[in-house]
Amino acid sequence: MGLPLRLVTLGLLVASCPGAPPAPAIRFEEIARKAGLNFAYRNGAKGGFNQIELMGGGVAVLDYNNDGCMDIFFTNGAEIPSLRKTGPEFHNRLFRNNCDLTFTDVTEEAGLAGEGYSMAVAAADFDNDGFTDIFVAGVHRNFLYHNLGNGHFADISAKAGLGGAGTGNPWSISAGWIDYDNDGWLDLFISNYVVWDASKEPRCGTPEQRFYCHPDVYTGLPGQLFHNNHDGTFTDVSRQSGIGRYIGKGMGVAFADIDGDGFPDIFVANDSVRNFLFHNRGDGTFQEMALEAGVALRDDGKAIAGMGADLRDIDNDGRPDLVESGMINDSFQLFRNLGRDRGFEEYGLRTGLLLATRQLTGWGLGIYDFDNDGWKDIFFATAHFTELGRFIGRDSALPNRVFRNVGGTRFVDVSAGAGPAFQVAGLHRGVAFADFDNDGRVDAVVTQLNGPARLFHNITAGDAHWLAVELRGTRSNRQGLGATVHVRLPDGRDLYNHATTAVGYGSSSEPLVRFGLGANREAEELEIRWPGGGTQKIAHVPADGIVKVTEENQR
Amino acid sequence: MKWARTAVAFLISAACLLAQPQWRQSPGYPAYQKGNALFVARKFPESEAAIEEALRLDPKLVPALTLKAKLAMAGNRFDVAGECLRRALAADPTSGYAEFLYGLEAYLTNDLRSALPRFEKAHQMSPADPRVALYLGIASETLGQTDRALSYYEEAVRLEQRGGAPQAATFLAGARLLLLMGRDGESEQWIGQALQVEPGSRDGHFELARLLLKKGEAAPAAKEGEAALLLRGGDTTDAQIHYLLIRAYRGSGNSPEAARHADILRTLEGNAPR
Repeated sequence: MGLPLRLVTLGLLVASCPGAPPAPAIRFEEIARKAGLNFAYRNGAKGGFNQIELMGGGVAVLDYNNDGCMDIFFTNGAEIPSLRKTGPEFHNRLFRNNCDLTFTDVTEEAGLAGEGYSMAVAAADFDNDGFTDIFVAGVHRNFLYHNLGNGHFADISAKAGLGGAGTGNPWSISAGWIDYDNDGWLDLFISNYVVWDASKEPRCGTPEQRFYCHPDVYTGLPGQLFHNNHDGTFTDVSRQSGIGRYIGKGMGVAFADIDGDGFPDIFVANDSVRNFLFHNRGDGTFQEMALEAGVALRDDGKAIAGMGADLRDIDNDGRPDLVESGMINDSFQLFRNLGRDRGFEEYGLRTGLLLATRQLTGWGLGIYDFDNDGWKDIFFATAHFTELGRFIGRDSALPNRVFRNVGGTRFVDVSAGAGPAFQVAGLHRGVAFADFDNDGRVDAVVTQLNGPARLFHNITAGDAHWLAVELRGTRSNRQGLGATVHVRLPDGRDLYNHATTAVGYGSSSEPLVRFGLGANREAEELEIRWPGGGTQKIAHVPADGIVKVTEENQR
Repeated sequence: MKWARTAVAFLISAACLLAQPQWRQSPGYPAYQKGNALFVARKFPESEAAIEEALRLDPKLVPALTLKAKLAMAGNRFDVAGECLRRALAADPTSGYAEFLYGLEAYLTNDLRSALPRFEKAHQMSPADPRVALYLGIASETLGQTDRALSYYEEAVRLEQRGGAPQAATFLAGARLLLLMGRDGESEQWIGQALQVEPGSRDGHFELARLLLKKGEAAPAAKEGEAALLLRGGDTTDAQIHYLLIRAYRGSGNSPEAARHADILRTLEGNAPR
């Protein structure tokens, strides 16, 4: 705020797209095998009905080598009960994007095969050196891998203060990078699930038929917040920030400045207990206010089996709204942000999302404009719990779902028209989003339990225009995570989005801020509000390219 | 994994069907009668002992087998319940009540694939039993068959009215579904009928409060919510009502009351007030 408004760097990769944009069906082709993305998540299940078997499958999209093409990192399970990666089938995997929509497994040279039972991943440049680093969350053990910039990563977990192993450590299930104090360095939030020990796994189900236990059987855990000390180390500030006071059964996390006060807030989807919304007071402390904000529970006051979450503006009013996935008969939740201190209202019923998702179980999700019409759609990675199928007379495997946003007032399930490969059922879990071929259409990579990962290449037809904003913070964190971007279109519409890699469930998406522009061939004005308050405006930005914007005020 | 829950209280509160005349000649019948009276009085261990005695005297006594199954379900022994009901149906394949309970046993163990055909069979055997129609509605709704569910709820209401004993819970099951389907006006009518049948229904006042809040009538919603909070019984928990009241008071601009209910809810859940 109050800073001189000046464009510092503007790089455009322009591809002209003539013609008026039609309203095409959102379509994907599945190209994992063709692209060389040869990965299958292994949960180590051997009939023991261990709770951890249900939950893994986090995936990250990051450009680890800065070649302008998004790479993919998969987490993987381990042998149970040892929780050791006893063979290559359990290795985490890094796939380099060859910039031609094929990928090469570079795990070994990167040094990222990993240890332990991995669950989730959060990717971001925590040390502002220009290279994206990787945090891997898992069962009783987390890892921070520092990107050395030469294709190799170094495990710096112990030095960073994020290491430690053993059952005394929590089972971490999601994580995300957030500069909560706007000091220009990314801090780390970790969502922890429940107290779990392989040797104490309870037996549930019936005497004849064992099943996975309900989360009620386990004791919940608080989340954790680690402050970045600017020197490669972190300090656990869970207690003093207020985060650690709240015991939940944390699943997905989402970050956004929900009230426009300039500080990012934290939403945690909880499984079978109410959700948390940590409002950032701006002084290093958080106020838990999910109850007051109306996002704690379902409309009838019952908790859902919260899974994934994303906070984005779905009605183009400049305020991030909230989508949360859940279990069959929960319905996925959509809460509309009413602004300032008015909280959120239940919006899933009116928009059709509530009833349309009642028979689904969802994990990862993302709110992206897949048809670039200027209205953000929703992608859900779906599957019922393993072994649940026999109870409901249907397969646990489900095809994923994509819902088209019709003018911010209605969501229509357009999955059936999204292509033959999109109809294939799977035990889907994590999903991460990026434009892997830089064609302006957002793609999705989805993991499956004990099955091959799927790469959904967006082949939506039409001439709708788009814009991606790649931020480079100078005062702010290098990737500009937390920045909000406002696009004013010639047709009078205003679009809003923000930079974050924490999307969905246990997963991490590209840091670019994307917009579908519809028929508009340019953004009349692009306004970036950096973390900490500085704003920059750029006039007349041509469509169909990646705009690189560097924060003008140097550190 | 909590997607198919229903109140076990139903098993206890549901009136037992009068035993068919043929069972009255059974040597175990007096012990069964004693067990049934103890069950209604919620003296479960004593009831169980009497039922065991009845079944010792007549292992095929269907009313005793169904009562034992209900006791087992109330104690989460669904394996025992299933075994009793299979025995009951072997002894009397025409027992619609045993078939209904067999469906309920499957429903309560989340086995909807088995529950639905059993309820359907019970419906054929006992077409005038509103409970079967109600549970067919609940099971259909759980499986996402909303139109079918609604027609079963309507049928259950008709059957109850025909029998002169309409139940608020049946109206409310339909009202909740109608609300979910966006048919607010009809939902409101069903809630109204529930409250006519049972003016002191906590569930009824809660559902009315939800509906009012959805319609943007925050102050009346708060009033209804407060009324629900003072009532007892039903399935609606205090926590659900406090959550509604937080939103209703915020919606009507009464922040202190909203904060008060938020603090109460946080205390209930074990988190200290802010």
